[in-house]
Amino acid sequence: MSTNDTAVPILSARGLHHSFGQTEALRGIDLDVHTGEVLAVTGPSGSGKSTLLHCLAGVLVPDGGSVTYRPAELAPMGISSLGEPKRARLRLTDFGFVFQFGQLLPELTAVDNVSIPLLLSGTRRPEAQRRSTELLERLGLEGIGAKLPGELSGGQAQRVAVARALVTSPAVLFADEPTGSLDSLASENVLTLMLDLVREAGTTVVMITHDARTAAYADREVIVRDGAIGAGYRVSA
Amino acid sequence: MNNSITLLGLLGREPSYGYDLKHSYDRYFGAGKALAFGQVYSTLARMVRDELIRALGEETGGGPDRKKYEITVAGQDRVREWLFTPDVPSESLQSNLFAKTVIALLLDDDADRLLDVQRSEHMARMRELTRLKKDADLLRVLVCDHGLFHIEADLRWIDLTSARLAQLKKELQSA
Amino acid sequence: MNPGLLKLAVVGSRSAYGRLTGIAGGVAAGVCLLLLLWGGANGLSARDDRGAWLRETGSPSVAASPTEDPTTAGPGAQVPLTADTVLMEANPAEVFRDQLISRRDVAALGSTTVKIPGIGHPPEPGRYYASPALQRLIESTPRDELGDRFGSFAGTIDEAALPGPDSLIVVTGAPEADLRQNGRAFLVSDFTTNAYGGSAAAYNTVLSIGAIAVFFPVLLLISIVTGLGAAQRRERFATLRLIGASPQVVWRIAAVETSVPSLIGAVLGVGLAILLRPAAAQIPVNGTRMFAADLTTGWAAAVVVVAVVFAASALVAAHRTARAGIGPLGVTRAIHEKTPTMWRSMPLFAGLAAMIAAVLMIRVLKVRHWLESPLLIVGFLLILVGIVIIGPWLTRLASRIGLRQARSASAVIAASRMQQTPVATFRSVSGLVIAVFVVSVFAGGSSIIESTEVPPARPGLLQPTSLHATVNAGHTPAQAEDATRKARELSGILSATVGFGPGALSGPDAGPEIYLRAADAPGLGFEDVPATETVAVDASFLYDWTTQPLALSPAPAANLDGMVPVVIVLGTDGTPEAMDRARTLLNNSGVTAHSATSTLDAGLQSSTRLIQGLAVLAYLGMFVAIAIAGLSLAVATASAVLDRKRVLGLMRLMGMPVFVLRRIITREAAVPLLTVLLLSVGLGFLVAWLMVTFIDDTYQMTWPEPGYFMALGLSLLLALGAVTATFGLIRGTSPMTATRFE
Ligand SMILES: Nc1ncnc2c1ncn2[C@@H]1O[C@H](COP(=O)(O)OP(=O)(O)OP(=O)(O)O)[C@@H](O)[C@H]1O
Ligand SMILES: [Mg+2]
Repeated sequence: MSTNDTAVPILSARGLHHSFGQTEALRGIDLDVHTGEVLAVTGPSGSGKSTLLHCLAGVLVPDGGSVTYRPAELAPMGISSLGEPKRARLRLTDFGFVFQFGQLLPELTAVDNVSIPLLLSGTRRPEAQRRSTELLERLGLEGIGAKLPGELSGGQAQRVAVARALVTSPAVLFADEPTGSLDSLASENVLTLMLDLVREAGTTVVMITHDARTAAYADREVIVRDGAIGAGYRVSA
Repeated sequence: MNNSITLLGLLGREPSYGYDLKHSYDRYFGAGKALAFGQVYSTLARMVRDELIRALGEETGGGPDRKKYEITVAGQDRVREWLFTPDVPSESLQSNLFAKTVIALLLDDDADRLLDVQRSEHMARMRELTRLKKDADLLRVLVCDHGLFHIEADLRWIDLTSARLAQLKKELQSA
Repeated sequence: MNPGLLKLAVVGSRSAYGRLTGIAGGVAAGVCLLLLLWGGANGLSARDDRGAWLRETGSPSVAASPTEDPTTAGPGAQVPLTADTVLMEANPAEVFRDQLISRRDVAALGSTTVKIPGIGHPPEPGRYYASPALQRLIESTPRDELGDRFGSFAGTIDEAALPGPDSLIVVTGAPEADLRQNGRAFLVSDFTTNAYGGSAAAYNTVLSIGAIAVFFPVLLLISIVTGLGAAQRRERFATLRLIGASPQVVWRIAAVETSVPSLIGAVLGVGLAILLRPAAAQIPVNGTRMFAADLTTGWAAAVVVVAVVFAASALVAAHRTARAGIGPLGVTRAIHEKTPTMWRSMPLFAGLAAMIAAVLMIRVLKVRHWLESPLLIVGFLLILVGIVIIGPWLTRLASRIGLRQARSASAVIAASRMQQTPVATFRSVSGLVIAVFVVSVFAGGSSIIESTEVPPARPGLLQPTSLHATVNAGHTPAQAEDATRKARELSGILSATVGFGPGALSGPDAGPEIYLRAADAPGLGFEDVPATETVAVDASFLYDWTTQPLALSPAPAANLDGMVPVVIVLGTDGTPEAMDRARTLLNNSGVTAHSATSTLDAGLQSSTRLIQGLAVLAYLGMFVAIAIAGLSLAVATASAVLDRKRVLGLMRLMGMPVFVLRRIITREAAVPLLTVLLLSVGLGFLVAWLMVTFIDDTYQMTWPEPGYFMALGLSLLLALGAVTATFGLIRGTSPMTATRFE
């Protein structure tokens, strides 16, 4: 997917400001995320990447500025002005999340972990388990459905997390260092499997990474420095 | 690394004698292999010929070491062009990028931008290699990976350097 | 251990302060309750000891007659009063309003050397010593309702001889001849100090069981609070291990960081107990409050409690940490709880077996043996522990079934967690489950003392509003009529009747019937009066336990001449004042053989001392158990939320609405609670029945009083409250940015 002038934004942030007490984590960010692209967000530690992602995903409400979902459509949705219940609903139905580690419920089997978002949106349990198992198999995890997260390797657990994020066919997948705790080969496996699924479904991805090789999987890269999109901001395709 | 353009860059700071130029060069870039005087003078002569620099009024004694040189406008443009043209990612790139960064700092130019431009070039190449890997056979994948890891090493150096630019600049200026 | 490292480990983070405060607060509450209860138990026995002298029954004042045949023997030879004895009569039914007064009438020689506890030299005839509470009552009541019964005030009885500040006790002086009249007076040379007499063993057994039942939930509370934030701590310990701390260092830190706040909490608890003691003494137990001094446990006890809590919390924390086997990788690998197995039902069954064996020994083998008491106590303890131990197994069974049936996300999450960590989940509700068990035991145990209902006023039975007293031998009809004439003059007294018979009712000439003037019959509530001048009714008319109305029969032509008065019955309007006036008049008339009684008095007298003791413990126990259970559920639920802070935050981030999180927490409390609750109730009543049977196999258990269902409802409400209280916590501690990795 390449970005060009005809690209349609799916998320659009304008003038985002956010502070934690004295710390100014975001200081005026404008950013468009295009439909169907894989966007890498890089930048030094503490520069505000996670905060930006949380604002985009409606987890945090920014102190200033706005985030709009599907700004080009007839009824654009101002995420940053919705109440928490509505944002929760949106996150459940339209967004998926993958983090660095420790995001699976330790007491649930892999299949149940993946099923949770489906159950939350009202799917019946047998159907949810069927779809979850199927997705796990596509991610190369045959036969681990009944295992607990504690019994999985880091790479397997991360693929289960990817399955959980994608099981509801979200429009946008947010990933914060999804391969941060894995070795080169494992992260490649997770990334390629994830991106194959994502590209096939046309899902937009916003992915934070420190790792250039991971960022190289993206269609586009933005650098966050000191709470702003880096001075050397280049759209490169 | 291109010696002549580096010398030209050094001259961009202020007019100087060939002798001083050689010593500046050695201090910043000559770790382990100092420039020969002969090489300095032949390079300077070539740049005078190309009108990138010119000699200021001759002093008594008249030898090349007694001449003071000054950069021309054409010379300055040449340095600029060099600074902000990213190099094709390759193994020999490192020393050149280093020289560019130092010169940019010495000239008080935008070193940040220079590094970003190079970064983009690297990322573009990495994306290209990553794309090539898709659906390729394992041998081809391994070749691509080799390239990727080397570019990544450069990128890390770029990131580290850009994080230390302010400190580097201070050090260069006090030297 | 390096003090710097220790400091860092113990108060390293802000959340550590919350945990430390929680532990200290919980332990303080527990220790305070423990000391007050301990004091209460001591107080009860101190109080029984002080009141022991009232149990003195002395030796008969009449020597057994040499001949075996009681009918031919006249009154036996009287044993003379000497300087080292006093003649005393214990009045079984001195009632004022609805209170029983312990009354002792004493006659002594002037030279007597006997000292009456709390008084010293016995009062002169016509004078009395009263407990301060009774004296206040006498002074605030018209004399013809109470004061006239005793004579003139000689002084108050010393506290050292009073069970409690509210005890109503009177010792009156009487002429020797008066006391000798009915032969019920006895000679006393020394007052007993044995508070329980023959039933001491049974009473002590019940007291021990009651104490265990009350202390156990307190200990459970302390154990729950010291486990606060365990998961968080495990993570920290893992980090310490990672940076090179040895396992020994880690469990030492665990011991210190639990025992230091426990120590602070325990010391606070001691202070709190001292502060609350006067307030606790105001709680009436068994009809009277306690002296504040009775609740004092002494420094030794306080030091022992503090030391035990300190040492136990350190040991338990060290043990838990050592057993958790925290490696440098810590919690990235889930710590597996051992799967609970059937073996967990063993202690419960062993306990039941022990208690049943004890009761079988008594009921079937009809032997009383020293073994039963220990069997019963150990059995009870095993059942308490057994419930806590079997809980996780039952929880796991229930959650397995639940997981298969689960449809919603909250059900799947809750059931999975319960199945993986049944021990931790059950721990949250263990306090409540134990409380319900204890309450059921007490409710079952005290259901037998349910006060008897007020007998209905029915024609043919003694009216509940009337008072009667039998007349001593040797009194003329004129003397009795004199008393009834005086009675008619008092306000509130509607009728006064004399019943006649061939001889005094307690004497050898007593006849089977009581003769009345027909005109008096309606005053006794009879409706069908035969048209003769004199009528007769069976003597059982006077007994409390007669429940079938009796009919009047026409008396033989003989008139009442030649008969003696056997009973005086005063009918009142039913107001307490009139009834007390009637009692005072009858008791002062000098013709009656015993204090006037009403059928209503039965309710005051029937409950035995032993069972009353049990009931006291029961209500105290219910209160403590339920309060603690609610507290420990709140604490445990809160710590379960805190322990899963990050995971819950992640769930919210994924878009899980807050109400689903609430449902998860609610389910995790409700499932184990309801699973074991029924078991608790059933076991509670079974144990109560076993205990009651042990005390006396004539006792019957009945349906528990409404208070029990209120207690049960209250526990469930508390549970609900405790769980909803943590809802706020869910909002507060599951900020979605908890996904940040510190
Ligand atoms: N909940 C919070 N409370 C206080 N400060 C915070 C909080 N979250 C973020 N910050 C601060 O905001 C700044 C940006 O944080 P953020 O997590 O967005 O950085 P980041 O770019 O994701 O860093 P990293 O790559 O290390 O994850 C940091 O200085 C951080 O200390
Ligand atoms: Mg981050």
